[in-house]
Amino acid sequence: MNFIENLRLALTSIAANKMRSVLTMLGIIIGISAVIMITTIGTSIQKTLVNTFNSIGNMNYFQLYVQVNYSSQEDDEIINYTDEDLISREMLDKLVNTYPDYFYLNMTESFGNFEMKNWKGQTFQASLTGRMNVEDDNDIKFVRGRKINKTDNDLHKQVMNVSTLFIEQYLPADADPIGQTVSTDLGDFVIVGVFELPSIYEKQIYKPGQKTIEKVTPVYVPYDTVMALTHTENSYNYFAEVYYNPEYDIDMLKNTLQEFFDDEYAEKPYMYIEIENMQTQLGMINTVINVITIAISVIAAISLIVGGVGVMNIMLVSITERTKEIGVRKALGAQNSAIRMQFVVEAILLCLIGGVIGIILGILGGMTIGYIAQTLVSQFYSEYAELFSITIQPSVPAILISVGFSILTGVFFGYYPANKAAKMNPIDALRYD
Amino acid sequence: MNKTVIEMRNIIKRYYIGQPNELQILNGISLDIHEHEFVSIVGQSGSGKSTLMNMIGALDRPTEGTYLLNGVDISTLDDYELSRIRNQEIGFVFQTFNLISRTNALKNVEMPMMYAGMPRKQRLERAKELLKIVGMEDRADHQPNELSGGQKQRVAIARAMANKPSILLADEPTGALDSKTGRMIMDLFHKLHQEEGTTIVLITHSNELAAETERIITISDGSVISDTGVKEE
Repeated sequence: MNFIENLRLALTSIAANKMRSVLTMLGIIIGISAVIMITTIGTSIQKTLVNTFNSIGNMNYFQLYVQVNYSSQEDDEIINYTDEDLISREMLDKLVNTYPDYFYLNMTESFGNFEMKNWKGQTFQASLTGRMNVEDDNDIKFVRGRKINKTDNDLHKQVMNVSTLFIEQYLPADADPIGQTVSTDLGDFVIVGVFELPSIYEKQIYKPGQKTIEKVTPVYVPYDTVMALTHTENSYNYFAEVYYNPEYDIDMLKNTLQEFFDDEYAEKPYMYIEIENMQTQLGMINTVINVITIAISVIAAISLIVGGVGVMNIMLVSITERTKEIGVRKALGAQNSAIRMQFVVEAILLCLIGGVIGIILGILGGMTIGYIAQTLVSQFYSEYAELFSITIQPSVPAILISVGFSILTGVFFGYYPANKAAKMNPIDALRYD
Repeated sequence: MNKTVIEMRNIIKRYYIGQPNELQILNGISLDIHEHEFVSIVGQSGSGKSTLMNMIGALDRPTEGTYLLNGVDISTLDDYELSRIRNQEIGFVFQTFNLISRTNALKNVEMPMMYAGMPRKQRLERAKELLKIVGMEDRADHQPNELSGGQKQRVAIARAMANKPSILLADEPTGALDSKTGRMIMDLFHKLHQEEGTTIVLITHSNELAAETERIITISDGSVISDTGVKEE
């Protein structure tokens, strides 16, 4: 009496009582589909977050924050720190020169909006952003010319990258933008490249009086050129970003960075530098989402117990109904173990079919909710839609666990009734009407 | 004389042992049944013949006494071994046929062979062969509720014969049938006895049916009161 025979027997008796079988499965279906739906939503949120973070671009940088060390404070002492105690550009240059393989700077800073006059004399807004190097930014697509690079930055060249939107506003349609000079409050810059931006990067400014929305396009100039033009080469900041080479171990890099700044601040014990990293922050967010998903799933899984009890109940009824059949099978030589196996397999199959239906419904439910969210985002935040495309992804581990759990429910709640059937006295069972 | 299949010595069966309502159903029955015999066990209801049948069919163990089936002492076997005995040595034919309702005739006949662990292909062949012997080969894929009483009983007999048992144990096999179909079933038993050499034990309360068999054992109040004895060849 092998497993296939038992499967065949179980299928026959499940098929013989279709309505009852479906009702029995209902508890399992609801339980499993709830778990799968929740985990699908959970993993989709995670996946969406990761994708969004990745689309922001290069995340391989540390964020440095200046912190006041209150534990070094004596009683009644007032810590007075000056700008010179903050992170200086000098410090950062020293860091990069000390560890050229590990770290590099890629500073980006917005220098605010400025008003432009175009060839027709109309005014429009652009926002000036200083960037050290645009070359490794894969988000922006260049349509003409070249990107601002490190050499432009180091030599303080007065060059500019502008967007297609800027060109539309600034120049007549047939003019060649490359080589055109743009005058700003800081000085004159020559356009060397034109890029296309995702619309999310275009700032939108609401003009209250005119009730209109104007798009403000960013223009990029070399960061150090701006520093030189404004004579602020050695600036001091509460905050800095240091990019790292991801080929090296992140913990080692972080320790190196921390040691470097601890040395720098050795004579200023009242201050220290705190280092954070986007990757570890993303990891923390993921952990929180995981914990929430698991917690809700466990609550949903309680309904599985209810479903399991339902299966047990129906198995007990089924066994009472089939007492005579059990007696006949025993008279014809069925071993107790064969009878037990027959009913356990039947319970497992009930739970497994319920589980599979639940998984399918759960995935469909999770996807539906995902698509609704996606539609809402694209409807109301259309400019985010490009950047923030929601990824719907069912959780594979949750599906595997659900299948396993269904089988386990079948075994657990099927064993007692099956054992009861197996232990029936054949004479009494045969006499049963 | 042929080999002894059943050898019972002083079989006693009591129920509710040690309780005030203790009941002794069989009072020391001794009997021998040999290969190729066609025996009937006759008795009124309440005479203990059903209990004796359960005992012969290895569904129950005696309280006292020894029962050797093909030389094996049944009273010492556990549940698993008893189920093997029922599967291999006994072929049950019931008054109410007791076919499994959701499966067709062929599958019903296959069942004892399935429990014996016979491969599917081999079992299918044997089941078809058996249905042919009882004249039911055309109805192999019919469900029990599509068969008449006589047809059901013929399928049940085919099922009882599946593992070539030492004894065919028939409990009032014609009890639920009209006299015409009952006659056909009795003819089938005679045919099996003569052509296949099957050992048949027929349990009945009808003296008429018993008279057709080679040997009549009469039971009353849990004891054998008469035995016509082994037919001399």
